[in-house]
Amino acid sequence: MCLLLALCFYNTLSSQEKYTISGTISEEKSNETLIGVNIIFPEIQSGTTTNEYGFYSITLPEGSYRVIVSFLGFNSISETITLSQDITKNFSLTDALENLDEVIIVENIEKPNIKAPQMSVNKLTSNTIKDIPVVLGESDIIKAISLLPGVTTAGEGASGFNVRGGAADQNLILLDEATIYNSSHLFGFFSVFNPDAIKDLRLFKGGIPARYGGRVSSVLDIYQKEGNSREFHANGGIGLVSSRLLAEGPLKKDQGSFLFGGRSSYAHLFLPLFDIDNVAYFYDLNTKLSYKLNDRNNIYLSGYFGRDVFSIQDTFENTYGNSVLNFRWNHLFSDKLFSNLSFIYSDYYYSLRLNFVQFDWVSGIQNFNLKYDFKHYISNKLKLQYGLNSIYYKFNPGEINPTVSTSGINPFKLTNKYAFENALYLDAEHKLSEKLNLSYGLRLSGFHRLGQDELNIYENDEAVVFNEGFQIYEKAEPIGTESLKRSDVIESFYNLEPRASLAYQLNTDSSIKLSYNRMSQYLHLLSNTNSPTPLDIWTPSGKYVKPQLLDQYALGYFKNFNDNLYSLELESFYKKVKNRIDYIDGADLIANNSIEQIILNGRARAYGLELLLRKNEGKLNGWLAYTFSKSEQQTPGRTPSEQGINNGNWYKTPHDKTHDISMTGSYQWNSKWKINANFLYQTGQPATFPTAQYEYNGLNIPHYEGRNENRLPSYNRLDLALNYTPKPKKTKGWQSYWVFSIYNVYNRKNAASISFGQNEKTGFNEATRLSIFGIVPSISYNFKL
Amino acid sequence: MKSIFKVTLFFLLIFSCEDVINLDLKNSEPRLVIDASINWEKGTDGKFQTIKLSLTAPYFDTEIPPATGAIVTVTDLKNNAFSFVEEGNSGIYNNDSFIPEIGETYYLYVTYNNELYTATETLMPVVPIESVEQKNDGGFSGNEIELKAFYTDPKDIENFYLFEFDIVKFESTFFEVYEDKFTDGNRIFAFYSNEDIALDDEIKITNYGISKRAYEYYNILLQQTDENSGDPFETQPATLRGNCINQTNPDNFPLGYFKISETDVFTYLIE
Repeated sequence: MCLLLALCFYNTLSSQEKYTISGTISEEKSNETLIGVNIIFPEIQSGTTTNEYGFYSITLPEGSYRVIVSFLGFNSISETITLSQDITKNFSLTDALENLDEVIIVENIEKPNIKAPQMSVNKLTSNTIKDIPVVLGESDIIKAISLLPGVTTAGEGASGFNVRGGAADQNLILLDEATIYNSSHLFGFFSVFNPDAIKDLRLFKGGIPARYGGRVSSVLDIYQKEGNSREFHANGGIGLVSSRLLAEGPLKKDQGSFLFGGRSSYAHLFLPLFDIDNVAYFYDLNTKLSYKLNDRNNIYLSGYFGRDVFSIQDTFENTYGNSVLNFRWNHLFSDKLFSNLSFIYSDYYYSLRLNFVQFDWVSGIQNFNLKYDFKHYISNKLKLQYGLNSIYYKFNPGEINPTVSTSGINPFKLTNKYAFENALYLDAEHKLSEKLNLSYGLRLSGFHRLGQDELNIYENDEAVVFNEGFQIYEKAEPIGTESLKRSDVIESFYNLEPRASLAYQLNTDSSIKLSYNRMSQYLHLLSNTNSPTPLDIWTPSGKYVKPQLLDQYALGYFKNFNDNLYSLELESFYKKVKNRIDYIDGADLIANNSIEQIILNGRARAYGLELLLRKNEGKLNGWLAYTFSKSEQQTPGRTPSEQGINNGNWYKTPHDKTHDISMTGSYQWNSKWKINANFLYQTGQPATFPTAQYEYNGLNIPHYEGRNENRLPSYNRLDLALNYTPKPKKTKGWQSYWVFSIYNVYNRKNAASISFGQNEKTGFNEATRLSIFGIVPSISYNFKL
Repeated sequence: MKSIFKVTLFFLLIFSCEDVINLDLKNSEPRLVIDASINWEKGTDGKFQTIKLSLTAPYFDTEIPPATGAIVTVTDLKNNAFSFVEEGNSGIYNNDSFIPEIGETYYLYVTYNNELYTATETLMPVVPIESVEQKNDGGFSGNEIELKAFYTDPKDIENFYLFEFDIVKFESTFFEVYEDKFTDGNRIFAFYSNEDIALDDEIKITNYGISKRAYEYYNILLQQTDENSGDPFETQPATLRGNCINQTNPDNFPLGYFKISETDVFTYLIE
């Protein structure tokens, strides 16, 4: 820290003849700010990029320079600037497609920046996401990122995604800086993000900067569009499953804008086979209001609301979803110091009404989040980011109420839990020499589990006991309970999380990068199924559940070749997680008020090699990703006489996929037709198959030994999509295109699971494969005006 | 609560297809399986009792080998010893002078292949099934017959129930376990639905009083035998250990459970 301050000081002293140029870069037509635009000063080989709010700042010696502003799909600007005082310079970029008769992809922003120390990060633009063919023709963020190296999903109909062998609950998903707790609609068939409303997304898999914390595996950072502050526009799409509409326009020209987006699937669509009164649909709404108060102040109000609703006759009704409300204030303290203050409220709500057993169930999580982030552009060699973050959580693990007065169910409330999470961080991006760039940072995180009612107390603080006779883990009986005031702290945790990465440029086209990050995670998703379900609840760390701690090391080689036509990213990683929770055999997670009685603390580790080869430009572009990895988990006995889970042996996590290959590509045939394709191959998911059978009480019972020692057959499929734009030259008024797609072209029956049971006729045992999607053709119509 | 999982699966099934596949499975060493369920039906003397011993077999085998030639004894705290005698080489061991008593602790001793297996369990009482209600348009498809077997849970005592629905026509049985965590002291029901049963079919419903440990055992057992076992929403399958211990060689642990219950039987004809 001292060193850092000294550096800042040194820089200020020596910068007597230096001046700062700063400003905002936006799109000409809509005035929408652009993220990640390159601002390059070729004569002195200096440059910077715009931040999440389109702001840039760079400090250079006095002089006259040529500046080039470039961004994918936009015409570059090149002009000469004389720097003899601090100046503010805003740029507007024009859409490259508008002035050209033929579509040419000029440059791909998604290619790696070989100079920057940040590694293990993938960027995707909304256009790339829309090009990827998906099931039922609905473009989808989670499906798109699962084509990247190091990212897998548990297959069709499974929620969430897994990064570098991590569990789905270890991903931090941010939408305009607010945490999203469940990323799926319809049990994973769709993600909750409306692709039309998305401006930019980045997935950090390693070398995660200190400004992010709270999850140990990855960060998916998504920014929504602000809306067009020049003219009114709308776009939308009509698909087989859902339709969407997005409208944007000025509140006050060039100063304020609004954006409203809505998406809904059609009710009844999923249940056409049954002539009964069933409903299954989802919808979500995105809103954003932006207002520029003056050159130094911008405010944003954004919201998200999404729900899934299922009901079957009057027997069953299920509703769940996220809501987020977010107020942000961008303030420029000086042309070198940018700040953003966010107040965020988010919640996740789950409700289930089971009329046939006469009760309903409601659970959820609410949080209030305050973030104050600073970006300090000290010199063209040093950029600091620092800030603080406080989150107050309220967990409702569940509440049961009878639905009719004659119900035999007693009302029951699982004890609410409360917690307060805080963090301070400092990140430095430091250019040591032309060839060596460093980024280093530190995050101090603290987590306080606050007082609650009915906290169980156990003998020796052990909520799980080992029965040596039967060799099984059992719930311990509490020896008492205590009720604590909300202002009391039950347990506190503090962690110092160092982060560091380094990039060394070997030559103009290649570099090597190294990174290390430590992270802590204080919330755990209780789920002992292979992939999360909407019913799973989050639980905070506390007296009996320790925070997860991760150490990750990564090493990479990056190369651009053939004039940046191709790029290659090769990375290897090793990570280990302490205090990964595991469940005792037969753990009942549902409506359990004492989950500490079924949880043991274990550990996890993962390592692997990732390759990403991209073709960035031209009529044909796309990528090939290959990942070789291993992901394991172990829960040894706490004492030598305990056997642990799975006899204390390491076992494969459900997301251990040895080989994972994905290819995606698009070919612009001509201005009207474009072909997109992807191919995926993954080693089958680990599973536990029986090793014997026996009879008990007249039932045939499968006998299992080691955990996850078998695998499902490998998963592979090919998808194709054809985009047809009838009037490609039309740039005003109603413009439209069609997407025809085929999912799983060769109709492979990929196993979602293999189950074991008796044949209905013979009574003999058999293995049954469940596969979810065969070949699925679809069509959608998309428009904008 | 498991029904929630079934509903989610139901949505998946609309798109999905199922087919039987060939699979090579690893076989584990045979283990002794102790199927010792001592049941005392209300209103009977409970003298005749049976214990079955068998071995595990490779999963796709069509026969289960009996464990023959074992010495099987049950004792109580009053120094009564009940010898169970094998019927030929069937692995079925019988006793016709058993003395059941509510709350009494019983000990099981099995000597098989020179190894001694033991278990302990308490005879748990049970409340009667009071009535059965039938609904004909139940289930998710709206054409299943639903049955509710009502009973009244004793207040302020932790109770666990095992219900057996025996469809006499199909010789098929369906088990479900219940605890009284959310229903303490209430009149509540066990639930069963089936679309294949019809008018005049006989359903034999049995309520067994079981211990907490037995509840937990059956809870896992039923999850693992559920037709949907291995589906994406199911919990991880694991080795299921009962309450029997191999005293001679603990690593060669047996499977199965020594359960001893009072039972109440209600025979219902579909209307």
